[in-house]
Amino acid sequence: MTDIFNDTPTHSDMHDLEQNLKATGLYDPSEDHSSCGVGMVAAINGVSSRKVVRAAIEALKAIWHRGAVDADGKTGDGAGIHLEIPQEFFNEHVRATGHEPIEGKMAVGMVFLPRTNLALQEQCREIVESEIMNYGYAIYGWRQVPVDISVIGEKGETTRPEIEQIMIANNKGLDDETFERELYIIRRKIEKAAVEAQAHGLYICSLSCRSVIYKGLFLAEHLTNFYPDLDDKRFISNFAIYHQRYSTNTFPQWWLAQPFRMLAHNGEINTIRGNINWMKSHQIRMASIAFGDHSADIKPVIPNGASDSAALDAVFEVMVRAGRSAPMVKTILVPEAWSKNTTMPDSHRAMYAYINSVMEPWDGPAALAMTDGRWVLASVDRSGLRPMRYLTTHDGLLIVGSETGMVQVPDEEILEKGRLGPGQMVGVNLEEGQLYKEKKLKDRMANSQPFQDWIKDIVAMEDLDGNDGKEPVELSPDELKVRLIAAGYTLEDLELLLKPMILTAKEAIGSMGDDTPIAVLSSQYRNLAHYFRQKFSQVTNPPIDSLREFRVMSLKTRFGNFVNVLDEGHTQKGALVVESPVLTNRDYYVLKNHFGDQAHDIDCCFDTDGTPDALRLALDNICIEAEEAVREGRSHLFLSDKHVTAKRVAIPMILATAAVNTYLIKKGLRTFTSLNVRSSECLDTHYFAVLIGAGATTVNAYLAQEAVAERQTRGLFGDMSLEDAMLRYKEAIEQGLLKIMSKMGISVISSYRGGYNFEALGLSRALVSEFFPGMSSKISGIGLSGIEAKTLEQHGNAYKLPVTTLPIGGFYRYRRGGEVHAYDGTLIHMLQKAVGEDNYAKYLNYSQGLQNMPPVNLRDLLDFRRAKKPSKLDDIESITQIRKRFITPGMSLGAISPEAHETLAIAMNRIGAKSVSGEGGEDSKRFKPYANGDNANSPIKQIASGRFGVTAEYLNNCSEIEIKIAQGAKPGEGGQLPGFKVTTLIAKLRHSTPGVTLISPPPHHDIYSIEDLAQLIYDLKQINPRAEVCVKLVSSAGIGTIAAGVAKAHADVILISGNSGGTAASPQTSIKYAGTPWEIGLAEVNQVLTLNGLRHKVKLRTDGGMRTGRDIVIAAILGAEEFGIGTASLVAMGCIMVRQCHSNTCPVGVCTQDEDLRKKFSGTAEKVINLMSFIAEEVREILSELGVEKFEDIIGRTDLLHQVSRGAAHLDDLDLNPLLLQVGGRKTKSICTRTERNPVPDTLDAQMILDAKAVFDRGEKMQLTYSIQNTQRAIGTRFSSEITSRFGMEGLNPGHVTVRMRGSAGQSLGAFAVQGLKLVVAGDANDYVGKGLSGGIIVVRPSNRSTFTPHENTIIGNTVLYGATKGELYASGQAGERFAVRNSGALTVVEGCGANGCEYMTGGTAVILGPVGDNFGAGMTGGMAFILDDSGDFEEHINDETVIYQRVKSPYWEEVLKTMVKKHVQETGSRYGQMVISNWQTKLGRFWQVVPKEMIAHLVEPLDEVTTQDVA
Amino acid sequence: MDEGLVVANNVTEKMLKFISIEQGMPEKRYAAERVGDFNEIYNEFMADKASEQASRCSQCGIPFCHIHCPLGNNIPDWLSLTAEGRLEDAYALASSTNNMPEICGRICPQDRLCEGNCVIEKDFDAVTIGSVEKYIADTAWEKGWIKPFTPTIERAESVGIIGAGPAGLAAAEQLRMAGFQVHVYDRYDRAGGLLTYGIPGFKLEKNVVERRTKRLADSGIVFYLGFEVGDDATLDELRTKHDALLIATGVYKSRPLKIPGSQLGNILKALDYLTASNRKGLGDTVATFEDGTLDANGKNVVVIGGGDTAMDCVRTAIRQGAKSVKCLYRRDRKNMPGSVREVVNAEEEGVEFVWLTGPDAFVGTDKVEAVRAYQMRLGAPDPSGRQIPEPVPNSNHDIPCDMAILALGFDPEDLPVMFKAPELDVTRWGTVKVAQKSLMTNLDGVFAAGDIVRGASLVVWAIRDGRDVAEVIQKYLLTKPQEEIIKQEAVA
Repeated sequence: MTDIFNDTPTHSDMHDLEQNLKATGLYDPSEDHSSCGVGMVAAINGVSSRKVVRAAIEALKAIWHRGAVDADGKTGDGAGIHLEIPQEFFNEHVRATGHEPIEGKMAVGMVFLPRTNLALQEQCREIVESEIMNYGYAIYGWRQVPVDISVIGEKGETTRPEIEQIMIANNKGLDDETFERELYIIRRKIEKAAVEAQAHGLYICSLSCRSVIYKGLFLAEHLTNFYPDLDDKRFISNFAIYHQRYSTNTFPQWWLAQPFRMLAHNGEINTIRGNINWMKSHQIRMASIAFGDHSADIKPVIPNGASDSAALDAVFEVMVRAGRSAPMVKTILVPEAWSKNTTMPDSHRAMYAYINSVMEPWDGPAALAMTDGRWVLASVDRSGLRPMRYLTTHDGLLIVGSETGMVQVPDEEILEKGRLGPGQMVGVNLEEGQLYKEKKLKDRMANSQPFQDWIKDIVAMEDLDGNDGKEPVELSPDELKVRLIAAGYTLEDLELLLKPMILTAKEAIGSMGDDTPIAVLSSQYRNLAHYFRQKFSQVTNPPIDSLREFRVMSLKTRFGNFVNVLDEGHTQKGALVVESPVLTNRDYYVLKNHFGDQAHDIDCCFDTDGTPDALRLALDNICIEAEEAVREGRSHLFLSDKHVTAKRVAIPMILATAAVNTYLIKKGLRTFTSLNVRSSECLDTHYFAVLIGAGATTVNAYLAQEAVAERQTRGLFGDMSLEDAMLRYKEAIEQGLLKIMSKMGISVISSYRGGYNFEALGLSRALVSEFFPGMSSKISGIGLSGIEAKTLEQHGNAYKLPVTTLPIGGFYRYRRGGEVHAYDGTLIHMLQKAVGEDNYAKYLNYSQGLQNMPPVNLRDLLDFRRAKKPSKLDDIESITQIRKRFITPGMSLGAISPEAHETLAIAMNRIGAKSVSGEGGEDSKRFKPYANGDNANSPIKQIASGRFGVTAEYLNNCSEIEIKIAQGAKPGEGGQLPGFKVTTLIAKLRHSTPGVTLISPPPHHDIYSIEDLAQLIYDLKQINPRAEVCVKLVSSAGIGTIAAGVAKAHADVILISGNSGGTAASPQTSIKYAGTPWEIGLAEVNQVLTLNGLRHKVKLRTDGGMRTGRDIVIAAILGAEEFGIGTASLVAMGCIMVRQCHSNTCPVGVCTQDEDLRKKFSGTAEKVINLMSFIAEEVREILSELGVEKFEDIIGRTDLLHQVSRGAAHLDDLDLNPLLLQVGGRKTKSICTRTERNPVPDTLDAQMILDAKAVFDRGEKMQLTYSIQNTQRAIGTRFSSEITSRFGMEGLNPGHVTVRMRGSAGQSLGAFAVQGLKLVVAGDANDYVGKGLSGGIIVVRPSNRSTFTPHENTIIGNTVLYGATKGELYASGQAGERFAVRNSGALTVVEGCGANGCEYMTGGTAVILGPVGDNFGAGMTGGMAFILDDSGDFEEHINDETVIYQRVKSPYWEEVLKTMVKKHVQETGSRYGQMVISNWQTKLGRFWQVVPKEMIAHLVEPLDEVTTQDVA
Repeated sequence: MDEGLVVANNVTEKMLKFISIEQGMPEKRYAAERVGDFNEIYNEFMADKASEQASRCSQCGIPFCHIHCPLGNNIPDWLSLTAEGRLEDAYALASSTNNMPEICGRICPQDRLCEGNCVIEKDFDAVTIGSVEKYIADTAWEKGWIKPFTPTIERAESVGIIGAGPAGLAAAEQLRMAGFQVHVYDRYDRAGGLLTYGIPGFKLEKNVVERRTKRLADSGIVFYLGFEVGDDATLDELRTKHDALLIATGVYKSRPLKIPGSQLGNILKALDYLTASNRKGLGDTVATFEDGTLDANGKNVVVIGGGDTAMDCVRTAIRQGAKSVKCLYRRDRKNMPGSVREVVNAEEEGVEFVWLTGPDAFVGTDKVEAVRAYQMRLGAPDPSGRQIPEPVPNSNHDIPCDMAILALGFDPEDLPVMFKAPELDVTRWGTVKVAQKSLMTNLDGVFAAGDIVRGASLVVWAIRDGRDVAEVIQKYLLTKPQEEIIKQEAVA
């Protein structure tokens, strides 16, 4: 993986395999992700004790469920602990060797050495010793760390290093700080020396006089078994940071276990590539200032191949070693969202404004525990995407961790229970012996420097001359037309993309996926942006909702040199900050004018005279010109292709930008300049994103603007001025940029910039490694010469022949002479005829017709290796058998009509195949077969981010549950069902109100990480003890490692969706540019799973544009066992690809909710069955040609395929071999062999069900009582499943069975609990309480013995009541972030909540008797909330885009509120609630009532008595 | 509703109105009024009506109208522009694929092409594409957006085109735009071919054709009218005069009806009849009309045939004041080749259709007096699925007839003979043989296009062929000089 850290050679087999796969296959270790459980314990007074160590060890034993176990059952993904060095413990060892330790702290290095190659081991020791001694330090000696290898698994053992400690005397007598700094330099020198000596396998966990790290590849609970040192009573510490890793990667790496030297990180850095690139520039100035002569020793700051966490740690460490404190470094690297925060004190704001100019944030979900030796801190990211709970005790401990209850503290010992909100921190200054909570800590930092003075001279766009002037218009209509054609524009671009941006200030929308060729296969001119696929989050981190959670998003773009990141107090005079990188033509000139002499223009055109390699030469020249300009002190480069003429052709600006950016980075000059790019091709948000991703500081789409101007002049936008039109264009682009960033979980553009957050599809590997280093490019493709040829050709089209109009286009909708579309008009009719007439011959015509088309998909370049001797058709598996592998993928009842939805289910059930319900529930009358025998119940029930209609009953009526992580049409994005599509039926199924809009959030709010997914799978396997669980992913780079993580999370089926399928309405640029073909993703998943020994545990399924038997067979050969046939089945039912699904006007009644249109539906189950049978028959014929009899025999058999075309002549190469690689050697099949679903451990419910026999036998009422711990998760879920199947979801009366518990409940307390079950916890609970609550009652209150004030403390975790449809929750204390998110029916009372409360709520009532966090009520379209606002700042926290808020003005609603508060007091015994009731008149005046705007007309009673008449 | 929550695409918000707006055609003049003249029967759309009708378009992902248009007209796009009121853009787009949109809008059988394939046709009645097309182009003429053009470059190469019908004219325009010197030869005294002399004015008023041909002449295309190739110049002479030659003569030979009595008087060929009528309309003196031979006034007229030409004949006869007009067709209404819309128009005007009736003989002494006809019925289907008509035994009956018009289709004339160019290869049906891709005949530099290659077909196909051949001619001419140089060198 890396040069320095390569492991011991003993596991060479595995290692070689990995390297081999990396080199030739699709697996790329840099795509590994990890998440985990993390936490820390600290003695507030700074005094070391055994207690601290014991607490941390105990905590590690209670987070096993947040980690993963390898197939051997013993090898974990890594765990470890970071402790103070117990000097006495080590002194004794020194004494034992006959030496007397000298004064002062000794340093201890925890070293991993190669274990089996003894010569190498010795060499490593020499390296370590000589570097230490070269620095003038004395060595006490080495100590072999005692280990017990019986507790580690086979993989852990084969890769185990020799673990030793080296003890070093502080014979120079330096103070700790300086000693640490020198130790840091020594360690870096050792690492460098090891690389030079090729001493693989040497890794230093820690080298410090303060602290030591014990870590490795064992399960967390075996930490002390493996390292008996830690059980030694002399091992005392004043802090402990601990970590349990859950990695998607299963090549075990001892060194990748955490904690790292300074921090332990649970999360993922989404911007890692950009951060690393920027660091390459920062480190140059930084190192020389901080480390002077030693600057060369510490570079590169980030070692090659470091994981994101390791990279963050490396940068964190260097900044600490350079003298900044841990809290400040954390704040610089992972700042809070500040620019839109209205409640933040000015001093804090000034600090953030300052650090904004220091370094780009490291963005992504994060829970961090860290130390610099003086401070011990815990904190979370700007959006609070990882949980962090803390408590303080009467005896002076601060305990922080991913879950509450990990360390068991007696109730009476607890002083306070809190949680960390977005961007918050808590910590202890060990030297001062002081606890610092959020505000105190930030105040201390904000006041440490005169930040307000430093930022007061920052200039904004509004301050510049001419910023309010007119937008210039510079091109004549004729000139414009020629340039538009030269830049590859079509009428479609102008009408379908540009026009809507001006009219609506939003991106254009389309539907029914993409059926055009990927750019590299097209014969049309496709601009370079088409070769870039947007990356997106799935599973390991959540996408962000840039619309509803805009407060964390920022496009702020800063000009001027970045100050040296280590240098505090740099003056900011004249630094310019603009709100967005999107510049209009006016802005561009204003900016250039402002920079005056500092600006330098670079002409990015080259001559058309036919010079060989003209493009290459031109790129070289602009790079050199850029370098010279920067060296002359021109700190703002303006790259433009505007100088295009008949004889000068524009360099694609993506290439120009990337060339200059990478060149300047290489020269260490990038941070000295801004790169402002003016591009003719740039029109849509995707092109902007690619330019910024390639390093552009600002982007000006000058030609698009000229096109807007021409239209505006002609009055096409009515009275709108050009300035207004451009504002709207800018708005549309900016929203689009935010969406593109947020879909991969990035919220700050400065971290996105230069990060190549794309995957190349069809760009030559050489081109990518030169201009976009680090970006993945799986199949190679077009290179510089091809781009040059295509660019010249397009330029010629504009300048060689006279032109009248722009070409019509055809990329989005079929037009003659335009792009090929796989769904061709004639073929659609042919298929419909074939299935209508049950005519297989016609079907074959259709299939043949598809094959005769020019290549559209990668599979079109592949062909079968036919057997010399075909097998006899009669001997081949039957149609009936083959059809069972077919699935109609999830299309929700909100999207397609009820008729179409039922027809699919009935058809698939009839042939023993499966249909997926899609998101949005299913009518319970379909759960039982109809009188005529038709079964309309979808065997696979989908659960998506909106959780619409997901009840205990729904989940119990299926044989499989599919978790839709992403969808092909718009991975990483949410969706919404507009009000006009929410009919009475749909509203009923989704537990919402007819006519009211429903929003699906981009992420599942209970899946922010891989361990969260494992938890959801666990919950689902509890609520349905029979169903298998499927996880639906979208093909993209790195999907293999994600799938490995999913397999380890006990999924049974993994579905890989291709980019092209999908029927959903989405922004056009998402349909076109996100995700990759399933061919790539499927092959990668199959390879990685096989490699990791996980393939046999999961079934693989794929979908996305499957149309024929040939498609099916190719997918099987690439590794799939089951196949989704979506669009084709819609076509069989009459769909004619009108592609207006989002308009509710489907003329054939397939994709509409309109009553009249639905009558036009002419689909039948028979037609669908015919389609499936035809495809199966064609599969059989191909099996015969392959000489195979059983379908199973082709799965994973890539030797049956070969590449028959390498694409067009102008390509460098198009290499599909990575798809065809066989991990297990040739002719192996990779198939799923399990017969049962993958089991999960039992929880308390197993006992509860036994104890409640009387309930199930005789329907008796019962009360059960237990003590619980946080490892007992999903309590009540399995029990609810039993109730549902025995009595029905509403069969028991509320509270029929009461379960009383004491302690900390694990995650998902009462998930999907149904009516009849009441759960009462005395203690507290973790995340996801009442997830999907379906009628049960949950009560959480503090123990009677606790002494703290409940309403000021946190009692339940994050994401409570997510997707609840019915039931009640009362909690006497505060809730975490995203309280009641997407609640659609539960009633609840809590005493405060974190950020994003009641987000996306569509029903139910929430009463919050205390403070709420930021962004309350975002996207709330239904239900109601009451908030008691004692502090009077509620208005600062509400997001009122979709809601109104007012005081409680009607007696009716007052009574509703009061009844709920009374019930709360009754259930929880809340003293605070009682106080509210007692002072009702006073308190009532402080309540706010929050109601969605769309709901006002639907309320049972008006909000305000007085205005009743008006409203009516 | 909050703006942020609007998911519908505002661009298409103006469109997809087929659910709420019913199909509407431009107003048709009352039959009683329109049979009194030869003017067109449809009024123009009112402006808002045209945009309203255009807004019914569903803006399909696969636009079947566009696919089934021989010209590949970008119909959804100009419908959308029309709905927005952007007629100049709409015209620019319409004319980029079609040299005479206003003519196609009038005479294309849309119910068999674009409108017949419109996806909303089945349940909501098609978008009235033809009428909108006509509206767009007529407005363009009216507003003066259509002007003579000057090519951006003048090229020396010249092209001769034989035939000034739709194929020849389309090719001429395309080649002239590319800068070539274009010379058009036609045996008639007016350009336009069948557009001028074949199609009656009530479908296509003659000034509509004239303004097109005039514009071409004004744009530098040279017309040689009344020019008989073979007499006024041989094909070979034209070949030496021009760098390329295009044969686009169309097909003019009427298919005969070989039944007893065919030699009787007053049995007319459809084209002679229609030409005379059109000439009259243009103000010419036509002897055979003045003498009553080609005038249907006061006569019992029987037209035999069921195609578009037959429709033109019956409706012309009505307008000439025939006593009765009958149309004999051997299949039924459902199975006739002509446009259903035209049948309706004809019936409104008083034409009587005699379905499932075949002619057995013409009866009369020297002039025809009756058509002896027999009943037909539809028998077993042929391989294409169309039912074959067969006579019903003993069903003969006489239909009184003073004038019979034969409209049974057209065949090519004998071009090698006419052109005195026996070297020109033709097929056994008499159509000119061309190579599949180059569209060149067996004679170098001589191309052919339109009905003379394809056989009798629609005007819209002729335009398509004209455009296609213009493209290959252009390619031929641009690569030719080098070849000639090579040839000359070889000779030297």
